[in-house]
Amino acid sequence: MLVFKPRRSNGWLWLIATGLLTIGIGVVSSLPLMTLPADKITTVIVLSTTLLMLILGAPFMVLAAWFPTMRYELDAHTLTLRYGPVLTYHIPLNEIQTIRKRNLSVSLWSSLRFPGIALFTVPYTDVGNVKMCATATATGILLIETAKDKYGLTPADEEGFIAALQARIGS
Amino acid sequence: MPPIYIMAVITLAASTAMWGGLIYALSGRAKRYLWLLLPGLPLSAFVNLLIKKPLIVWVGETANIVPNLGLATPLWFIILLWLVPPITEEAIKLTPLLLPWARQRLYSRAGALWTGTALGVGFGLGEAMFLAYGIAQSAQYTAYPWYAFTGYLGERLIVCFCHGIMTAVVVTGLQQGKWRALTGYLAAMGLHALINVGAVLAQLDVISPTVASVSLMASLVILVIIFERLRRRAAHEQNSQEETAEVVYFRRNPGEDAK
Repeated sequence: MLVFKPRRSNGWLWLIATGLLTIGIGVVSSLPLMTLPADKITTVIVLSTTLLMLILGAPFMVLAAWFPTMRYELDAHTLTLRYGPVLTYHIPLNEIQTIRKRNLSVSLWSSLRFPGIALFTVPYTDVGNVKMCATATATGILLIETAKDKYGLTPADEEGFIAALQARIGS
Repeated sequence: MPPIYIMAVITLAASTAMWGGLIYALSGRAKRYLWLLLPGLPLSAFVNLLIKKPLIVWVGETANIVPNLGLATPLWFIILLWLVPPITEEAIKLTPLLLPWARQRLYSRAGALWTGTALGVGFGLGEAMFLAYGIAQSAQYTAYPWYAFTGYLGERLIVCFCHGIMTAVVVTGLQQGKWRALTGYLAAMGLHALINVGAVLAQLDVISPTVASVSLMASLVILVIIFERLRRRAAHEQNSQEETAEVVYFRRNPGEDAK
């Protein structure tokens, strides 16, 4: 089995920044409770919001820690995209219809993408939903299409990756 | 210094970074649109002080009505207070287009989309400043610490973007010309009125401020759907004009079945 690493990027910094910002907003929103009088309902709402923001912020920090585990594994029959224990996409080689490299146009809909990282299903304005495991959101994405799905990846050694993939598809 | 000003600075910095960054990133890193944030800045103060307020006061005086929102206010006057901001603000946001350099990019849908978005976000930033100034004039708010104004931060962040989308609707209509310019303006006015429904009902004590916030979020979702449609059309027009740079490494022959 061949293992390819993704292109280098600072996407992990965005994950950390987003996690810290989310947690920070939660903490700041509870600060008025320390100095201002508040009734019971307001206190419960504010503390619930703070807790919710902590819960939302923590996964970004965990995802940042898994950033170095992003990789593309190629064996005789399958290409597997991995990111920590939370993302695994298996692409049977005999189902691949096209492999092309292009820039994508991002949409505003919520998804896990920042400059330098895109994970899980990301909606794009031009090509629709793409299952991403990449260190770029829109620029220079290697788009692999099967009959059912589209996958986006960004191997560092693109030439080597394409050559290995084509050799296996051809055989 | 009134504490609201600290939160206003944070709000302006966050809104400029977030929405300016979005315009920059989604327009293909075009810095020229960021300059269009500037002409919108004074327009909120202008329209509020020189058009909306004198108009509402004049109508109120003519009809012997105190120009405030309350359950005792006649329905027609409530409707007037509700509709004056959409009618006047959606028009005033277009005035920078009188400048030739602001019209430079209106030859395409994409250019109109980002020109309108930038002009609207600029107006929203100015409105945030104008509101902060208004809050600072009220003695009851000077007793609060700056971090008590997180509601202002959240609301203004959202409203800034809403202004951008609404102006994008009008300017895209203008770019299409003829009756689409009018329908664009009417559509933006309708969306603006929709956004303001929650705030008006909250001021009338018909709904709570929390429900008004939910109404604002629902309006935002509708606006984002419209914005994405505008972007898709703009992208489609752009793609049909210029070939997308693409490298095809592998394509399975049409008749070839997967093994």
